[in-house]
Amino acid sequence: MSEETVLEVSGLEVVYSTSKGDVKAVEELDLSVRRGEILGIAGESGSGKSTLAVALLRLLKPPGKVTAGSAIFHRKGGSPVDLLKVRGEELRVLRWSALSYLPQGSMNSLNPVMRVEDQFKDVILEHAPERKETLADLIARLLDQVGLEPRVARMYPHELSGGMKQRVLMAICVALEPDLVIADEPTTALDVTIQRVILQSLADLRHDFGVTLMVISHDMGVHAQLADRVAVMYEGRLVEVGDVHQIFKDPQHDYTRQLIDSIPRLGRRAS
Amino acid sequence: MTAEAPPVVAVDKEEQVSAPRPRVRAWLSRHPLAAYAIRRLGLYVVELWGALTIAFFFFRLMPGDPINTLIQSLQQNYIYNQQASAEIIARYQHEFGLEGNLLSQYLRYMDRLVLHGDLGPSLINYPTPAQDVILRALPWTIGLLGISAVLSWVIGIVVGAIAGWRRGKAGSAIITNLSIALAHVPFFFVALILVYVFAYTLGWLPARSAYDSSISPGLSADFIGSVLKYGLLPGLSIVGIGAMGWILSTRMLMVPVLGEDYLVYAEAKGLKPWRILTRYALRNCYLPQVTAFGISLGFIFNGNVLVEQLFNYPGLGTTLVTAIQQLDFNTILGVTNVAIFSVLTAVLLLDLLLPLLDPRVKYWK
Repeated sequence: MSEETVLEVSGLEVVYSTSKGDVKAVEELDLSVRRGEILGIAGESGSGKSTLAVALLRLLKPPGKVTAGSAIFHRKGGSPVDLLKVRGEELRVLRWSALSYLPQGSMNSLNPVMRVEDQFKDVILEHAPERKETLADLIARLLDQVGLEPRVARMYPHELSGGMKQRVLMAICVALEPDLVIADEPTTALDVTIQRVILQSLADLRHDFGVTLMVISHDMGVHAQLADRVAVMYEGRLVEVGDVHQIFKDPQHDYTRQLIDSIPRLGRRAS
Repeated sequence: MTAEAPPVVAVDKEEQVSAPRPRVRAWLSRHPLAAYAIRRLGLYVVELWGALTIAFFFFRLMPGDPINTLIQSLQQNYIYNQQASAEIIARYQHEFGLEGNLLSQYLRYMDRLVLHGDLGPSLINYPTPAQDVILRALPWTIGLLGISAVLSWVIGIVVGAIAGWRRGKAGSAIITNLSIALAHVPFFFVALILVYVFAYTLGWLPARSAYDSSISPGLSADFIGSVLKYGLLPGLSIVGIGAMGWILSTRMLMVPVLGEDYLVYAEAKGLKPWRILTRYALRNCYLPQVTAFGISLGFIFNGNVLVEQLFNYPGLGTTLVTAIQQLDFNTILGVTNVAIFSVLTAVLLLDLLLPLLDPRVKYWK
């Protein structure tokens, strides 16, 4: 793993405007993501981790808005850009080819009236039209990578199980070999056996494609299995960032300790 | 299957007796789409028969005697002074299919209609057969109302989709409020305003009839130009108002889809906005509009009576009103049958087409 950074977030602040004034969802957040690593973002519901993801992906919708900070994004073969400032066509071209998104599989992120292959096709042809000739092979290879048969390409989303949908989304997110994939709760709402398979596939994707992953999850178990480094958020602030072993063995912050203690264990019942 | 399962002897026998049936069944279960189409076609025939039958009996319940009306009009028009003899009445009754009891009238009517496509003579244009009277009016109605209906639908879908897509923007708000205000204004009211402005005040466009009577009908450029010119005002009044309803309903269908996860995902994919609008948003919400369009075709074939009357347009609406005034059973039934046939056929075609438009639509197992 190199020390080269892909993304440098500094002083990020995101607020949601309400009739009773602004609510700060993310405050004074500094974070860097290194190329090739899997960075876990942990925290409870409402800690601001999803807002962070949405803001970096530039999918934040009103009443949410970024009020301060920068996110310098270093693309392969491109000059660094501030993700929070880039607009219009420049942003559209940067999406997916450099920065892609892995949503929660239980969400309806796949268009219900398009075949799976067409949902690969539109994004690949949009950003890399030169791959038109080899498209069918590419789609089959990507599906194989996440353990799906080629015939899945001809199916519609409603014909797939939740775990299969999640795997299709994973295959789409690495289709253009982006510099950074932001995964928002990739295993939430899947049963534990499928969770395990999905985590394994994510680890394989990193191994095979060298993708840099930012994995947002409330589940410390996911971070323990997958992440190289973990950043812990609490009430919009980053309370601790560290190597995964350090975080679990020697948590520096009280909140981190509580999070780790909250992992359910066999033989210990909630009182 | 049968080898493994321990069948009762009786069941075995039954299977042997009805050997060809399972073969048909097996074929149908292997071709679910064909099985569905056959079932749907069967239903169509039953619906058509039921609707035609109800229409027949319904109109026979109307009070009044058409033969009397005919003889009265003959007396007035041809100074036909003699009192109608029993023979003459019997002859006309025979000709109009009115002799015998209701059941034998019905059987004769169905026989003529189904086997010969014959509705019997019309009264409003005696002795021209009713189907000829209707066929003469039909092209005008299809031309004016059919084209107007398609245009309003297309305009409504496109403008409504854009209005929904750009909701919150000034242009979208203006279009939406304008549609709310205008959607329920009657066609004839707009027609009157258009006539006043463009025909009466400015004198640019004609206000009556379907073409310039000094040009003989035919496939000449003059005639077609004249038809278009005469059709412009009635067409505009229908499209102008009709599109408003479609704009509103399309916008209403569009807005909830914009909040769906797959739209956020499409945006994250960096697709072009037009592609997201058409392939992701519109494709997921326009299906009810397709169905509604098929049903709205029924109103076309009844003719838009008021607009046709106002412009003295020789369409089905005008024909129907005249026929009702003169108690012309055959023509009234004929116009009704055209409407029945077109709505049922449109719904049949839509039912067969919908699975192609949306993969989630499945009628078969």
